Amino acid sequence: MFFRTLTAVNTASTAMSFEWPWQYNFPPFFTLQPNVDTRQKQLAAWCSLVLSYCRHHKLYTVDVMEAQESPVFNNKKIERKLSVEAIQVVFEELRKKGNLEWLDKNKSRCLVMWRRPEEWGKLIYQWVSKNGMNNTVFTLYELSNGDDTDGEEFHGLEDWMLQRSLQALQAEGKAEIITMDDGKGVKFF
Amino acid sequence: MHRRGVGAGAIAKKKLAEAKYKERGTVLAEDQIVQMSKQLETFKSNLEEFASKHKQEIRKNPQFRVQFQEMCATIGVDPLASGKGFWSEMLGVGDFYYELGVQIIEVCLALKHRNGGLITLDELHQRVLKGRGKYAQDVSQDDLVRAIKKLKVMGSGFGMIPVGGSYLVQSVPAELNMDHTVVLQLAEDHLLKEGLAWLDSQAGAEAQYWLPALFAELTSRDVTPEEANQMTP
Repeated sequence: MFFRTLTAVNTASTAMSFEWPWQYNFPPFFTLQPNVDTRQKQLAAWCSLVLSYCRHHKLYTVDVMEAQESPVFNNKKIERKLSVEAIQVVFEELRKKGNLEWLDKNKSRCLVMWRRPEEWGKLIYQWVSKNGMNNTVFTLYELSNGDDTDGEEFHGLEDWMLQRSLQALQAEGKAEIITMDDGKGVKFF
Repeated sequence: MHRRGVGAGAIAKKKLAEAKYKERGTVLAEDQIVQMSKQLETFKSNLEEFASKHKQEIRKNPQFRVQFQEMCATIGVDPLASGKGFWSEMLGVGDFYYELGVQIIEVCLALKHRNGGLITLDELHQRVLKGRGKYAQDVSQDDLVRAIKKLKVMGSGFGMIPVGGSYLVQSVPAELNMDHTVVLQLAEDHLLKEGLAWLDSQAGAEAQYWLPALFAELTSRDVTPEEANQMTP
Protein backbone atom coordinates (compact mmCIF):
# COMPACT_ATOMS: atom_id res chain seq x y z
CA MET A 1 0.00 0.00 0.00
CA PHE A 2 1.28 3.38 -0.86
CA PHE A 3 1.07 5.89 1.91
CA ARG A 4 1.70 9.46 0.98
CA THR A 5 3.20 11.39 3.84
CA LEU A 6 3.39 15.07 4.60
CA THR A 7 7.03 15.38 3.64
CA ALA A 8 6.74 13.49 0.38
CA VAL A 9 4.41 16.05 -1.15
CA ASN A 10 5.46 17.03 -4.62
CA THR A 11 4.19 20.55 -4.75
CA ALA A 12 4.66 20.77 -8.49
CA SER A 13 1.98 18.16 -8.92
CA THR A 14 -0.71 20.24 -7.27
CA ALA A 15 -2.50 22.33 -9.83
CA MET A 16 -3.31 25.25 -7.56
CA SER A 17 -0.81 26.32 -4.92
CA PHE A 18 -1.94 26.08 -1.34
CA GLU A 19 -3.09 29.30 0.27
CA TRP A 20 -1.76 29.68 3.78
CA PRO A 21 -4.04 31.34 6.35
CA TRP A 22 -2.85 34.60 7.98
CA GLN A 23 -1.98 32.72 11.18
CA TYR A 24 0.69 30.76 9.35
CA ASN A 25 2.91 33.85 9.12
CA PHE A 26 2.12 35.04 12.66
CA PRO A 27 5.10 33.88 14.76
CA PRO A 28 3.18 33.23 18.02
CA PHE A 29 0.98 30.78 16.13
CA PHE A 30 3.79 28.26 16.57
CA THR A 31 3.88 28.62 20.36
CA LEU A 32 1.21 26.82 22.35
CA GLN A 33 -0.66 29.71 23.97
CA PRO A 34 -0.90 29.82 27.75
CA ASN A 35 -4.19 31.74 27.78
CA VAL A 36 -6.99 29.19 27.60
CA ASP A 37 -9.28 31.21 25.37
CA THR A 38 -6.51 32.18 23.02
CA ARG A 39 -5.39 28.56 22.87
CA GLN A 40 -8.86 27.50 21.80
CA LYS A 41 -8.72 29.91 18.89
CA GLN A 42 -5.23 28.75 18.07
CA LEU A 43 -6.08 25.04 18.08
CA ALA A 44 -9.17 25.62 15.97
CA ALA A 45 -7.00 27.37 13.41
CA TRP A 46 -4.40 24.59 13.49
CA CYS A 47 -7.01 21.88 12.99
CA SER A 48 -8.43 23.78 10.07
CA LEU A 49 -4.97 24.25 8.57
CA VAL A 50 -3.96 20.59 8.90
CA LEU A 51 -7.20 19.38 7.35
CA SER A 52 -7.16 21.79 4.44
CA TYR A 53 -3.48 21.10 3.75
CA CYS A 54 -4.11 17.35 3.69
CA ARG A 55 -7.18 17.86 1.56
CA HIS A 56 -5.27 19.99 -0.92
CA HIS A 57 -2.45 17.50 -1.27
CA LYS A 58 -4.66 14.42 -0.91
CA LEU A 59 -2.75 13.17 2.11
CA TYR A 60 -4.23 10.49 4.31
CA THR A 61 -1.48 9.45 6.69
CA VAL A 62 0.86 11.43 8.86
CA ASP A 63 3.99 10.32 10.64
CA VAL A 64 4.44 12.58 13.64
CA MET A 65 8.24 12.71 13.55
CA GLU A 66 8.27 13.53 9.85
CA ALA A 67 5.49 16.05 10.35
CA GLN A 68 7.75 18.32 12.38
CA GLU A 69 9.80 18.99 9.26
CA SER A 70 6.87 19.44 6.92
CA PRO A 71 6.08 23.02 5.84
CA VAL A 72 2.78 22.84 7.73
CA PHE A 73 4.41 22.69 11.13
CA ASN A 74 7.68 24.30 10.16
CA ASN A 75 7.61 27.75 8.61
CA LYS A 76 11.19 28.33 7.52
CA LYS A 77 10.47 31.84 6.33
CA ILE A 78 9.65 33.15 9.80
CA GLU A 79 11.86 30.58 11.54
CA ARG A 80 9.13 29.09 13.67
CA LYS A 81 8.09 25.49 14.15
CA LEU A 82 5.52 23.72 16.26
CA SER A 83 7.08 21.50 18.93
CA VAL A 84 6.37 17.77 18.99
CA GLU A 85 4.32 18.25 22.15
CA ALA A 86 2.24 20.95 20.49
CA ILE A 87 1.74 18.79 17.38
CA GLN A 88 0.42 16.06 19.66
CA VAL A 89 -2.02 18.53 21.20
CA VAL A 90 -3.25 19.53 17.74
CA PHE A 91 -3.65 15.89 16.73
CA GLU A 92 -5.56 15.14 19.92
CA GLU A 93 -7.95 17.97 19.02
CA LEU A 94 -8.43 16.45 15.57
CA ARG A 95 -9.02 13.04 17.09
CA LYS A 96 -11.69 14.45 19.39
CA LYS A 97 -13.41 16.01 16.39
CA GLY A 98 -13.38 12.66 14.56
CA ASN A 99 -10.92 13.70 11.89
CA LEU A 100 -7.96 11.63 13.06
CA GLU A 101 -7.23 8.06 14.07
CA TRP A 102 -4.02 6.69 15.57
CA LEU A 103 -2.55 3.74 13.78
CA ASP A 104 -0.39 2.61 16.68
CA LYS A 105 -0.37 2.67 20.47
CA ASN A 106 2.69 4.90 20.51
CA LYS A 107 0.86 7.58 18.57
CA SER A 108 3.59 7.86 15.98
CA ARG A 109 1.42 7.50 12.89
CA CYS A 110 -2.15 8.51 12.23
CA LEU A 111 -4.85 8.62 9.61
CA VAL A 112 -6.10 12.08 8.77
CA MET A 113 -9.70 12.14 7.65
CA TRP A 114 -10.19 15.53 6.13
CA ARG A 115 -13.34 14.00 4.83
CA ARG A 116 -15.13 11.47 6.99
CA PRO A 117 -16.06 8.02 5.60
CA GLU A 118 -19.76 8.93 5.51
CA GLU A 119 -18.99 11.96 3.38
CA TRP A 120 -16.92 9.91 0.94
CA GLY A 121 -19.68 7.32 0.79
CA LYS A 122 -22.13 10.02 -0.16
CA LEU A 123 -19.90 11.26 -2.99
CA ILE A 124 -19.39 7.77 -4.38
CA TYR A 125 -23.09 6.98 -4.22
CA GLN A 126 -23.92 10.22 -5.99
CA TRP A 127 -21.62 9.29 -8.85
CA VAL A 128 -23.10 5.82 -9.08
CA SER A 129 -26.66 7.16 -9.21
CA LYS A 130 -25.81 9.93 -11.64
CA ASN A 131 -24.45 7.39 -14.08
CA GLY A 132 -27.31 4.97 -13.60
CA MET A 133 -25.00 2.29 -12.34
CA ASN A 134 -27.13 1.04 -9.50
CA ASN A 135 -27.16 -2.73 -9.26
CA THR A 136 -23.78 -2.97 -10.93
CA VAL A 137 -20.90 -4.68 -9.21
CA PHE A 138 -17.59 -2.88 -8.98
CA THR A 139 -14.25 -4.06 -7.77
CA LEU A 140 -12.70 -1.71 -5.27
CA TYR A 141 -9.89 -1.05 -7.71
CA GLU A 142 -12.34 0.02 -10.43
CA LEU A 143 -13.85 2.55 -8.08
CA SER A 144 -10.64 4.13 -6.90
CA ASN A 145 -8.47 3.73 -9.97
CA GLY A 146 -10.69 2.98 -12.93
CA ASP A 147 -10.76 5.16 -16.03
CA ASP A 148 -14.44 5.82 -15.46
CA THR A 149 -13.81 7.54 -12.17
CA ASP A 150 -10.95 9.65 -13.39
CA GLY A 151 -11.64 13.25 -12.45
CA GLU A 152 -13.92 12.32 -9.57
CA GLU A 153 -12.83 13.47 -6.15
CA PHE A 154 -12.70 9.94 -4.82
CA HIS A 155 -10.39 8.84 -7.59
CA GLY A 156 -7.16 7.74 -5.98
CA LEU A 157 -8.85 7.26 -2.62
CA GLU A 158 -6.76 4.99 -0.47
CA ASP A 159 -8.02 1.51 0.13
CA TRP A 160 -8.57 1.72 3.86
CA MET A 161 -10.70 4.85 3.45
CA LEU A 162 -12.57 3.41 0.50
CA GLN A 163 -13.51 0.37 2.53
CA ARG A 164 -14.73 2.48 5.42
CA SER A 165 -16.80 4.61 3.09
CA LEU A 166 -18.42 1.59 1.58
CA GLN A 167 -19.04 0.19 5.04
CA ALA A 168 -20.80 3.41 5.89
CA LEU A 169 -22.97 3.07 2.78
CA GLN A 170 -23.62 -0.55 3.66
CA ALA A 171 -24.81 0.52 7.08
CA GLU A 172 -27.24 2.86 5.36
CA GLY A 173 -28.46 0.06 3.15
CA LYS A 174 -27.19 1.68 0.00
CA ALA A 175 -24.51 -0.85 -0.85
CA GLU A 176 -23.28 -4.35 -0.14
CA ILE A 177 -19.66 -5.36 0.08
CA ILE A 178 -18.98 -8.63 -1.69
CA THR A 179 -16.03 -10.92 -1.33
CA MET A 180 -14.84 -12.19 -4.66
CA ASP A 181 -12.09 -14.54 -5.74
CA ASP A 182 -9.40 -11.95 -6.14
CA GLY A 183 -10.50 -9.36 -3.66
CA LYS A 184 -13.45 -7.31 -2.60
CA GLY A 185 -16.18 -5.77 -4.62
CA VAL A 186 -19.28 -3.74 -4.00
CA LYS A 187 -22.79 -3.62 -5.32
CA PHE A 188 -24.79 -0.41 -5.12
CA PHE A 189 -28.54 -0.32 -4.73
CA MET B 1 66.32 109.97 12.90
CA HIS B 2 63.10 110.25 14.86
CA ARG B 3 60.86 107.20 14.91
CA ARG B 4 57.15 107.81 14.98
CA GLY B 5 54.89 105.92 17.31
CA VAL B 6 57.34 105.55 20.14
CA GLY B 7 57.61 107.62 23.20
CA ALA B 8 55.24 109.32 25.59
CA GLY B 9 53.64 111.34 22.89
CA ALA B 10 52.88 108.28 20.85
CA ILE B 11 51.34 106.51 23.79
CA ALA B 12 49.10 109.42 24.58
CA LYS B 13 48.06 109.57 20.96
CA LYS B 14 47.30 105.91 21.01
CA LYS B 15 45.19 106.30 24.11
CA LEU B 16 43.24 109.09 22.48
CA ALA B 17 42.67 106.97 19.41
CA GLU B 18 41.42 104.10 21.55
CA ALA B 19 39.06 106.40 23.41
CA LYS B 20 37.68 107.68 20.18
CA TYR B 21 37.17 104.19 18.89
CA LYS B 22 35.45 103.23 22.07
CA GLU B 23 33.14 106.15 21.78
CA ARG B 24 32.47 105.27 18.22
CA GLY B 25 31.80 101.68 19.30
CA THR B 26 29.30 102.84 21.86
CA VAL B 27 27.68 105.02 19.31
CA LEU B 28 27.56 102.09 16.95
CA ALA B 29 26.06 99.81 19.63
CA GLU B 30 23.47 102.40 20.47
CA ASP B 31 22.60 102.66 16.83
CA GLN B 32 22.18 99.00 16.61
CA ILE B 33 20.04 98.87 19.68
CA VAL B 34 17.75 101.51 18.34
CA GLN B 35 17.55 99.63 15.06
CA MET B 36 16.83 96.36 16.78
CA SER B 37 14.19 97.91 19.01
CA LYS B 38 12.45 99.27 15.98
CA GLN B 39 12.62 95.85 14.35
CA LEU B 40 11.31 94.17 17.45
CA GLU B 41 8.44 96.58 17.62
CA THR B 42 7.54 95.79 14.06
CA PHE B 43 7.94 92.11 14.72
CA LYS B 44 5.79 92.32 17.83
CA SER B 45 2.99 94.17 16.13
CA ASN B 46 3.12 91.75 13.21
CA LEU B 47 2.83 88.87 15.63
CA GLU B 48 -0.09 90.48 17.37
CA GLU B 49 -1.79 90.98 14.07
CA PHE B 50 -1.09 87.38 13.18
CA ALA B 51 -2.44 86.27 16.53
CA SER B 52 -5.69 88.13 16.25
CA LYS B 53 -6.19 86.98 12.68
CA HIS B 54 -5.40 83.35 13.28
CA LYS B 55 -6.21 82.61 16.89
CA GLN B 56 -9.56 81.12 15.96
CA GLU B 57 -7.99 79.20 13.15
CA ILE B 58 -5.37 77.71 15.41
CA ARG B 59 -7.94 76.56 17.91
CA LYS B 60 -10.33 75.16 15.34
CA ASN B 61 -8.23 73.70 12.58
CA PRO B 62 -5.84 70.80 13.25
CA GLN B 63 -4.21 71.07 9.86
CA PHE B 64 -3.51 74.74 10.42
CA ARG B 65 -2.13 73.94 13.84
CA VAL B 66 0.39 71.54 12.33
CA GLN B 67 1.54 74.17 9.87
CA PHE B 68 1.73 76.75 12.62
CA GLN B 69 3.84 74.46 14.77
CA GLU B 70 6.14 73.70 11.87
CA MET B 71 6.55 77.40 11.17
CA CYS B 72 7.45 78.04 14.78
CA ALA B 73 9.97 75.22 14.69
CA THR B 74 11.62 76.74 11.63
CA ILE B 75 12.22 80.04 13.40
CA GLY B 76 13.31 78.27 16.56
CA VAL B 77 10.29 79.02 18.69
CA ASP B 78 8.39 76.62 20.91
CA PRO B 79 4.92 78.07 21.49
CA LEU B 80 4.36 75.61 24.31
CA ALA B 81 7.59 76.43 26.10
CA SER B 82 6.03 78.34 28.91
CA GLY B 83 2.61 78.67 30.40
CA LYS B 84 2.80 82.44 30.49
CA GLY B 85 3.81 84.84 27.87
CA PHE B 86 2.90 85.83 24.40
CA TRP B 87 2.12 82.47 22.94
CA SER B 88 -0.27 81.16 25.50
CA GLU B 89 -1.81 84.48 26.34
CA MET B 90 -2.23 85.86 22.86
CA LEU B 91 -2.85 82.68 20.99
CA GLY B 92 -4.17 80.40 23.67
CA VAL B 93 -2.06 77.65 22.19
CA GLY B 94 -0.75 76.58 25.57
CA ASP B 95 -4.26 76.23 26.97
CA PHE B 96 -5.32 74.08 24.09
CA TYR B 97 -2.53 71.57 24.60
CA TYR B 98 -2.83 71.74 28.35
CA GLU B 99 -6.49 70.84 28.20
CA LEU B 100 -5.77 68.10 25.71
CA GLY B 101 -3.11 66.71 28.02
CA VAL B 102 -5.64 66.51 30.82
CA GLN B 103 -8.06 64.66 28.57
CA ILE B 104 -5.37 62.20 27.54
CA ILE B 105 -4.56 61.49 31.17
CA GLU B 106 -8.24 60.91 31.90
CA VAL B 107 -8.62 58.39 29.08
CA CYS B 108 -5.47 56.50 30.04
CA LEU B 109 -6.38 56.32 33.71
CA ALA B 110 -9.88 55.10 32.90
CA LEU B 111 -8.58 52.24 30.76
CA LYS B 112 -5.50 51.33 32.76
CA HIS B 113 -7.14 48.40 34.53
CA ARG B 114 -8.02 46.92 31.17
CA ASN B 115 -4.93 47.53 29.10
CA GLY B 116 -2.27 47.75 31.74
CA GLY B 117 -1.45 51.31 30.77
CA LEU B 118 -0.76 50.63 27.11
CA ILE B 119 -3.00 52.05 24.41
CA THR B 120 -2.55 52.54 20.71
CA LEU B 121 -2.50 56.10 19.46
CA ASP B 122 -5.48 55.25 17.25
CA GLU B 123 -7.63 54.12 20.14
CA LEU B 124 -6.57 57.08 22.25
CA HIS B 125 -7.52 59.39 19.40
CA GLN B 126 -10.95 57.82 19.02
CA ARG B 127 -11.70 58.03 22.72
CA VAL B 128 -10.50 61.60 23.07
CA LEU B 129 -12.70 62.63 20.16
CA LYS B 130 -15.65 60.85 21.73
CA GLY B 131 -15.01 62.54 25.03
CA ARG B 132 -14.89 65.96 23.44
CA GLY B 133 -18.33 65.69 21.95
CA LYS B 134 -19.76 66.97 18.71
CA TYR B 135 -19.26 70.68 19.27
CA ALA B 136 -15.73 70.71 20.56
CA GLN B 137 -12.69 71.51 18.49
CA ASP B 138 -11.32 68.82 16.26
CA VAL B 139 -8.15 67.11 17.47
CA SER B 140 -5.60 65.35 15.29
CA GLN B 141 -3.11 62.63 16.15
CA ASP B 142 -0.36 65.21 15.70
CA ASP B 143 -2.00 67.23 18.47
CA LEU B 144 -2.03 64.18 20.73
CA VAL B 145 1.63 63.48 20.10
CA ARG B 146 2.58 67.06 20.94
CA ALA B 147 0.45 67.09 24.07
CA ILE B 148 1.97 63.82 25.23
CA LYS B 149 5.49 65.13 24.60
CA LYS B 150 4.64 68.04 26.88
CA LEU B 151 3.25 65.67 29.49
CA LYS B 152 6.47 63.71 29.35
CA VAL B 153 8.51 66.82 29.97
CA MET B 154 6.43 67.59 33.04
CA GLY B 155 7.36 64.18 34.39
CA SER B 156 3.90 62.65 34.45
CA GLY B 157 5.10 59.19 33.46
CA PHE B 158 3.92 59.24 29.87
CA GLY B 159 5.85 57.68 27.06
CA MET B 160 5.41 56.77 23.44
CA ILE B 161 6.68 53.54 21.92
CA PRO B 162 7.01 53.59 18.15
CA VAL B 163 5.34 50.56 16.60
CA GLY B 164 4.93 49.92 12.91
CA GLY B 165 4.48 53.51 11.78
CA SER B 166 2.34 54.59 14.70
CA TYR B 167 2.75 54.68 18.46
CA LEU B 168 1.75 52.88 21.60
CA VAL B 169 1.09 55.37 24.39
CA GLN B 170 2.28 54.19 27.76
CA SER B 171 1.02 55.76 30.95
CA VAL B 172 2.54 55.11 34.32
CA PRO B 173 1.50 57.11 37.34
CA ALA B 174 4.44 59.21 38.38
CA GLU B 175 4.12 58.34 42.03
CA LEU B 176 4.69 54.62 41.40
CA ASN B 177 8.00 55.39 39.75
CA MET B 178 8.44 51.92 38.32
CA ASP B 179 11.26 50.57 36.29
CA HIS B 180 9.96 50.46 32.76
CA THR B 181 10.79 46.80 32.31
CA VAL B 182 8.63 45.95 35.30
CA VAL B 183 5.79 47.96 33.86
CA LEU B 184 6.11 46.29 30.49
CA GLN B 185 6.11 42.93 32.23
CA LEU B 186 2.87 43.80 33.99
CA ALA B 187 1.38 45.04 30.77
CA GLU B 188 2.43 41.88 28.97
CA ASP B 189 0.91 39.62 31.64
CA HIS B 190 -2.19 41.71 31.59
CA LEU B 191 -2.46 41.60 27.82
CA LEU B 192 -1.93 37.83 27.80
CA LYS B 193 -4.58 37.37 30.47
CA GLU B 194 -7.05 39.45 28.58
CA GLY B 195 -6.34 37.46 25.44
CA LEU B 196 -5.13 40.55 23.65
CA ALA B 197 -1.58 39.36 23.17
CA TRP B 198 -0.07 36.10 21.90
CA LEU B 199 3.11 34.61 23.32
CA ASP B 200 6.05 33.85 21.04
CA SER B 201 8.64 31.69 22.81
CA GLN B 202 10.86 31.14 19.78
CA ALA B 203 11.97 34.73 19.35
CA GLY B 204 15.32 34.26 21.02
CA ALA B 205 16.49 34.58 24.60
CA GLU B 206 13.42 36.48 25.75
CA ALA B 207 9.79 35.68 25.15
CA GLN B 208 8.01 38.14 22.91
CA TYR B 209 4.44 39.28 22.86
CA TRP B 210 2.47 40.04 19.75
CA LEU B 211 -0.72 41.98 19.33
CA PRO B 212 -2.72 40.44 16.47
CA ALA B 213 -4.39 43.76 15.75
CA LEU B 214 -1.06 45.48 15.19
CA PHE B 215 0.21 42.49 13.21
CA ALA B 216 -2.68 42.92 10.81
CA GLU B 217 -1.74 46.58 10.46
CA LEU B 218 1.91 45.78 9.91
CA THR B 219 1.14 43.26 7.21
CA SER B 220 -1.18 45.85 5.65
CA ARG B 221 -3.92 43.44 4.92
CA ASP B 222 -7.61 44.07 5.22
CA VAL B 223 -8.82 41.92 8.05
CA THR B 224 -12.12 40.25 7.30
CA PRO B 225 -14.70 40.13 10.11
CA GLU B 226 -14.14 36.38 10.27
CA GLU B 227 -10.42 36.83 10.70
CA ALA B 228 -11.01 39.46 13.36
CA ASN B 229 -13.01 36.86 15.26
CA GLN B 230 -10.15 34.43 15.02
CA MET B 231 -7.74 36.82 16.66
CA THR B 232 -9.21 37.52 20.04
CA PRO B 233 -11.75 35.63 22.11
